[in-house]
Amino acid sequence: MTLLLLGMNHRTAPLALREHYAVDDVRPPLGKLVDRDVVAEAVLLSTCNRVEALVWTRRPDVARLRLRSFFERELARGAPPDCGVTVAEALYELEGSEAVRHVFRVAASIDSMVVGEPQILGQVKEAYRAALEAGACGSTLTRLYQHAFAAAKRVRSETHIAQRPVSVARVAAELAAEIFETFEDKTALLVGAGEMVELALERMREAGLARVRIANRTRARAEALASRFDGTAHGLDELPALLAGSDVVLTCIAGHEPILRREHVEHALRERRQRPLLVIDLGVPRNVDARVQALDGVYLHDVDDLGQVAEANAEERRREKVRAEAIVLEEAQRFDGWLAALAAVPTIRDLRDRAERIRAREVERALGRLDATPAQREAVEALTRSLVNKLLHAPVARLRAQEDREQGLATLEAARALFALDEGDGEPEPPADGGD
Amino acid sequence: MSVDLHNLTAAVYLGASVLATLGLSLRRPALSRAAVAALGVGAVAHALAFFESRAFALPPRGAGLSGAVDLAAWLGTLVFLGLVRRARLHALAALVAPAAFLGVFFGAFGPDPEAVRARATGPPWAHAHVLLASAGFALLAVAGFAGVLYLAQHRRLKRKTRLGGRAILPPLEALDRVNAFTISVGFLLLSLALVTGVLWTHATAGVVWPRSPHANAALVAWGVYALLVGARFLARQGAAQAARTAVAGFAVLVVAVAGVGLWP
Repeated sequence: MTLLLLGMNHRTAPLALREHYAVDDVRPPLGKLVDRDVVAEAVLLSTCNRVEALVWTRRPDVARLRLRSFFERELARGAPPDCGVTVAEALYELEGSEAVRHVFRVAASIDSMVVGEPQILGQVKEAYRAALEAGACGSTLTRLYQHAFAAAKRVRSETHIAQRPVSVARVAAELAAEIFETFEDKTALLVGAGEMVELALERMREAGLARVRIANRTRARAEALASRFDGTAHGLDELPALLAGSDVVLTCIAGHEPILRREHVEHALRERRQRPLLVIDLGVPRNVDARVQALDGVYLHDVDDLGQVAEANAEERRREKVRAEAIVLEEAQRFDGWLAALAAVPTIRDLRDRAERIRAREVERALGRLDATPAQREAVEALTRSLVNKLLHAPVARLRAQEDREQGLATLEAARALFALDEGDGEPEPPADGGD
Repeated sequence: MSVDLHNLTAAVYLGASVLATLGLSLRRPALSRAAVAALGVGAVAHALAFFESRAFALPPRGAGLSGAVDLAAWLGTLVFLGLVRRARLHALAALVAPAAFLGVFFGAFGPDPEAVRARATGPPWAHAHVLLASAGFALLAVAGFAGVLYLAQHRRLKRKTRLGGRAILPPLEALDRVNAFTISVGFLLLSLALVTGVLWTHATAGVVWPRSPHANAALVAWGVYALLVGARFLARQGAAQAARTAVAGFAVLVVAVAGVGLWP
C-alpha cells in the first residue's frame, strides 16, 4: 500500500481556478472517495491557497485516475474557468515519501503562500477532524497526521518562523502603509468572524487602528469579536451602508457569490468624496466583485496579491525556512520508518510462521524416534522454541527498525528471498541428520 | 563670491538629485533621506548666495525670469523641507532636487542683475509681485511633483507590481494632502501675484493690463488653476484625478510663465 496525493495550490493554479474547486464542507465528497477496494483512507484539505486530497491506497494506478475524476466530478462547480491554466496543468501528484514530506511541509507552514503563517496548522487539523468524522481516516493517516502535527509544533518552537510571522495580517498592514499615513484616524470594516479576521484585527489594532466594525452572517459571533476589540457588530445586510465610512475593508467569509458588488463600492466612493479605499479579499471563492479594481479610488487585493507581498519578504525568512525544512525531513523520515515497519509486519509474520513450521516438524520427527517422557518432550519443545526465537531475534529487530522506506523495502525483499518466504510450504527439506 | 556660492548650491542640489534618484531606483530609503539632508544644505547655501548677491534688496534680482526661477527653486526647496518634516515624503526629493538644480542652473544664465535692477522700478509692488509669483510657482511645482509621485504609486498599486518589501514611495494619503495644501496656498499666492503685478504695471506704465504675452499667459495659467481648485474643493474630485490635474496644471504654468518669458 502507498500514499498518494493529488492537488493544486497557489503556485500551480491561479485564484480563479482554485476557487472553482474549493469546498466548504469536505465530509460529503470524502464519503464518496473512500471504498474498500482502491482508497482505504483519505483526507481532503481545502483552504484559500490549496485543494489537496491525500489517500492511502492499495492500487495507486487506479487511485490516481479515481482522484482526477474526483476533482472533476465531486469538487468542480461546472466548467472550469478560462484563466490560462488548465486543471491538468494545475494538478500535481506526489507518492510515498514525497507525499509524506509534502503533508509535513504544509502543516508546518513551510509550503504556505505566507511562510510561517499560523492559520494553516488549524486548517490541516480541521481537515483531519472532518476526515475522522466522515469515517475516511484510519490508523495510517491518523498516524501520519499525528507526526505532521508534532513536526509543525517542533518547527514553531525550534525556529523563529513563528516568532516573526509574516502573517496575512502583517501583509495587509504593509499594503495599508502604501496608501495611508497612519491608522490612527482610520476605520476598518471586517467581514467575517473567523481566525483570519481575528488575527488581522489584532495586527491592525497594534498598528493603532482607530475604529473597528465587524460584519458577519451570524451576528452573535460578530458581537463576540467586536466586544473583544472594542468595535461595533453588524449584519451583512448593513454592508453597503458601512462601506462609505470605512477606509480599510477586509473580507474572509464563506460563500460562492460576491458580497461586495461594484455598485456598492461605487456608491460608497461617492459618499466618501473619493477618498482611497483599501479592500483586502481573503475569501476563496472571492467575496468582492473583481470589477471593483477598475474604480479609481479603490485598491483591491486578493489572496494571490498578498502572496506577492509575502514573496518580497521571503529573503529575511530563508534561514529559518532551511532549519524548518530540516526538522520536517527528520520527522518525515521517522514516519517513513514507521511505515516501513508496517510493511515489514507480513514478512516478519511469514518468517515466524515458517520457522515455527520447521521447528514443529523437526521436533515431531526427532521425538518420533525417541521414547520420551512428557517432561522430556516439554523440555525439547522449550529448547527448540528458544533456539528459534534467539535465531530470529536479530533479523526481526532489523526488519522492524528500518527508518528509510526505500531501503526498508529492499531489506524486506532480501529477507523474503533469503528465507524463501514466497515459496509457500514446499520449502526445501533440511537433511534429516543435519550436516552439510 | 556669490558666483561661487551659486556654483556650490548647484553642486549640492545635483548631488541631492543623484542620491534621491538612486534611493528611488534601488529602493533604499536611506539614500532618499540623505538626499533630503543634502537639499537642506543646498537650501542654506542658496540663501547665502542670495544675500551675497543682494537679491533681496530693492529692486529685486528676481525681477528677471531667470532670477524668479532661481528664487522659486529656493522657495520650492524650503516648502519641500517643511513638508518632509511632517510626513514620509523623502522620495519626493527625486523630483524636487533636480528641479532645484535646474532652477539654480537657469538662474546662473540669466540676464545681468544690474540690467534687471535698471529695468525694475516702482517698488514695493515689484518686490511683492516677484516674491509672490516665485512662491506660488514653487508651491504649484511641488503640487505637480506630488501629483507625479501619486500617479506612480497609484499605478503601482493598481497594477500590483513590486508590492511588499520596503515602502519607498510616499503613501497616497500623504501625497494627496501635500497636493491639497500646495494647490490651495499656491493658487492664493498666484492670485496675489496677479494683483500685485497689476499694481506694479499701473504704477510704472499707467495701465491696468499691459497685454504682454507674459501677462496674458499668466492670466491663462491663473484661470486654469482656478478651475483646478474649484474641481478639487467644490466638485468632489477624487485624489487620483486631482493628481492628474495638478500635473497638467503645472505643465500649463511652466509653458505660460516660464515658456513665454523665454520667447523673444
